Amino acid sequence: MDRLRERQGQVITAAVITLLVLVLLATGEKESLVIGVITGSAYGFLALGLVLIYKSSGVFNFAQGEFGTVAVYTLYLLHFDVPYGFALLGALGVAVLMGVVVERLVVRPLFDAPRVTLLVATAGVALLSIAVQIWFGEATARPVGRALPTLDRFTVLGVQISDQRLLLLGALAILAGLLAWFFNKTNLGLAILGSSQEPTATELMGISVKRLSTIVWALAALLGGLAGVLAVPETGGFAPGVLTVAFLIPAFTAAVLGGMTSLPGAFLGGVIVGVVEAVATSAPIFEDIPGSPGTLLVFVVLLIVLVARPQGLLGKAG
Amino acid sequence: MAVETASRGPAAETGETVEGGEPSFRPSPIGWLARGIVWAAIAWLVLIFPLGREAFELQRYSEAVIFGIIGLSLNVLLGYVGQISLGHQAFVGIGAFTSAYIVTEQNLSFWVGVAAAVAVGGLQALVLGGVSLRITGLYFAMVTLAYGLVAEKNIFQIQELTGGGLGQPAPKPKGFESDFRYYYLCLVFLAIVLWVDWRMMRTKSGRALLALRENPRVASTFGVNVRLLTLFAFVVSGAFAGLGGALLAHNDTRVSPETWSFNLALIFVIMTVVGGLRSRAGVVIGSAFFALIGYLLDKFTILQDGLNAIPGAPDLSPEIARLVIGPVLLLLTLTLTPGGIGQQIRPIVRWLTGHRFDLKDRGLKEVQISDVRA
Repeated sequence: MDRLRERQGQVITAAVITLLVLVLLATGEKESLVIGVITGSAYGFLALGLVLIYKSSGVFNFAQGEFGTVAVYTLYLLHFDVPYGFALLGALGVAVLMGVVVERLVVRPLFDAPRVTLLVATAGVALLSIAVQIWFGEATARPVGRALPTLDRFTVLGVQISDQRLLLLGALAILAGLLAWFFNKTNLGLAILGSSQEPTATELMGISVKRLSTIVWALAALLGGLAGVLAVPETGGFAPGVLTVAFLIPAFTAAVLGGMTSLPGAFLGGVIVGVVEAVATSAPIFEDIPGSPGTLLVFVVLLIVLVARPQGLLGKAG
Repeated sequence: MAVETASRGPAAETGETVEGGEPSFRPSPIGWLARGIVWAAIAWLVLIFPLGREAFELQRYSEAVIFGIIGLSLNVLLGYVGQISLGHQAFVGIGAFTSAYIVTEQNLSFWVGVAAAVAVGGLQALVLGGVSLRITGLYFAMVTLAYGLVAEKNIFQIQELTGGGLGQPAPKPKGFESDFRYYYLCLVFLAIVLWVDWRMMRTKSGRALLALRENPRVASTFGVNVRLLTLFAFVVSGAFAGLGGALLAHNDTRVSPETWSFNLALIFVIMTVVGGLRSRAGVVIGSAFFALIGYLLDKFTILQDGLNAIPGAPDLSPEIARLVIGPVLLLLTLTLTPGGIGQQIRPIVRWLTGHRFDLKDRGLKEVQISDVRA
């Protein structure tokens, strides 16, 4: 029965993707496909962190975007003075530190609280982080250096792509694979899964659920930080709360689309959301929608998924 | 049983403690006098104190009252049924634009504008909830969050509704042009919302709402239609929010699209939680506090002086102060006193309503499933 359900998800996924690609090719929106995959990979990156935390503690982490923004901010502050590689390491270190601090000060005291309370708490963390950024910096966009200063461009289906974008896509694919392996094969990964399903039984096996929680938040913060430092320099500049404002909703949609518990699903969902957004922005039939049509279409996709298939494409029902 | 509870009023709610412990507590004449003095002081603060203040101060006071309405709107959803809306700025904002549009573009009266804002608020909630309330909890929060973003990026970009970059003018109603009259008008609306909220929670549906927050499954086995009642609460919440939006629009006499951002939605949630879920007095106080934070910072420089002691920190502007202080208070509330301000002031509120002063009485009201038996 379980296997049938999984296969059903895969069939639906394959059908959706084929349909999407066919429509795109038929309407001559090839560029949207490429642009969408590239932007979508950034969403997928953030979605990976969301899924990770949801899998292990059942929390929707609204501070996930802020791990990235804080990393970008640190990178911006450091990269004038120290070599880029060190600045990058420092940025990721600060993100991980933030993850651990959030876990200790916010998540742990609310360990037994309803999940909605935790959601409000993480949203509060996000707002605090944004507020502090506005307070100490200014509410203006600023440029930040790229990991690859070479600015090489590749042409795919008539679209120019910078090397950093490809790096982002590659890093995401590799990480999604690595994480899937981590959760299925390693002891630590299995322990994390166990702690999410049966905390008491996991404790009885001699595993500290609380320590696992710290590890998971650090890992998620690392992913968020990576998403920030890889994706933001490409957009030209960043303002306070950039990842929360521009990336969090599409990333959540991606995670929900992928099934909220599936790591490859998050990656796939990110790409689908990215393509939908790119098509909405460029296709002439959506021109009459006021403002940015991408936001509206992503919202519609989210609603359809939640109403028609709440377990997402690759998630398990229940 | 259900009817009985309703007719016996506040005392019945706490159940055994009042009935068993001190069934016939009556304050002494001096006790009544003390309570009367406190009541008079509160009345003075709310009714007389704002008189003769300057216009910009009165606008802040009105805003505080309106925030109270918005806080109560979220309290219906978050406090009574335990669903969270992270897109409430959309409901408030659309209410504001609806009323401004009707008054400015259609040349209809303020009262039509307010009624339309309430109706549009309720209708929005009905449609959004009708589609999405089969899912609840975290996923519902997601949907409202995404809806707030759609409002920001799509609905508020409609030029005819919002009047473009400059925003839509929203003049004060006839007879209430002066700021202090408008302040009293807002107070009346707040009183109406409080009354509706109080009456609603006294009905069988009201107690059913509380029961389904405690445990939807048990509630549904007692014949409570969980989905319909959740939708009902969402619609009430949306209508209140629309009212708040309309009042806010006419208070500032102009609505602009930039006001309604995600940050504001979070401030709404924070002020409700910090105020104390399910405590009307707490929610109103918390909301008013968040509306007045910038004003208080200007008035009392002690906090600003304290912040200046932090090395390297720039001045905290009132707008940012709300964003910095809010989350800190929220996190403290969630981790230390989940009942918020309402929990802290409960002994005082009980005392004011003619009960014995009991400092230990911080217990949150828990509804009994049997109270709503059909």
